[in-house]
Amino acid sequence: MKKNFKETSKTGGTAWFLQRVSAIILFTLLMLHFITYHFVGSGDVTYARVVEAMKSPWFNLIQFLFLITAIYHGFNGLWAVIEDYVHHKAWRMVLFGAVMTLALSLFFIGLLTLFKVANLA
Amino acid sequence: MYKRTRVYDLGYTHFIGSWAWIIHRLSGLALTFYLLLHIWVVNTLTQGPETFNRVMSFLGSPLFRYLEVGLWAVILFHAFNGARVVIVDFFAGSAVQKKLLFGLLLIAFLLWAAGSFVILSHIKH
Repeated sequence: MKKNFKETSKTGGTAWFLQRVSAIILFTLLMLHFITYHFVGSGDVTYARVVEAMKSPWFNLIQFLFLITAIYHGFNGLWAVIEDYVHHKAWRMVLFGAVMTLALSLFFIGLLTLFKVANLA
Repeated sequence: MYKRTRVYDLGYTHFIGSWAWIIHRLSGLALTFYLLLHIWVVNTLTQGPETFNRVMSFLGSPLFRYLEVGLWAVILFHAFNGARVVIVDFFAGSAVQKKLLFGLLLIAFLLWAAGSFVILSHIKH
């Protein structure tokens, strides 16, 4: 099969598969996240409460896992949508760069929050 | 293979699964945008207790509680329709995909109602 950038260099099978794997992880983590933050207790999120939770390395590990899976799933999904509608090579390159920059920046900001507040650095 | 030529080419959308697909996309885009806002807001933790607590009390106002109810709905649709996608793709559920959709959305609706009740009960009068 002749491949060009318009058809994308690969079949997209890996992205398709990982989108479903990350979906299963996110489903579990997001339900847990929403229940613990919003449904248990008064519904108020305070600095003291977050810092107390972040004393646990397990909590931080889960937050880290949550961060990478959510960003991967969100931006892999965004890219999948873009691929469906944008076919021009130049536009694809520009948008891919934008999506990657945004995703990596968000990952960095999230990581910074985690490290700074948990005093891991 | 179906060749999509226009973004608004919706001629094949007389099927419930197609609508689920469209809403799944739109809710996915909305949730990715929300993720951006969420990471940005949570980052105010690094600016100390005073700033973070001020931001949190602002976001705890009734307006944001109502928006949270909407967010919960978007999350539940995306999560439960996503569960259907995974079941159809990985566990050969395509023969029962419509039943799955209605069944899972019923569970999602019940969770939405219960969760919204809790969220709205947090509004301080």
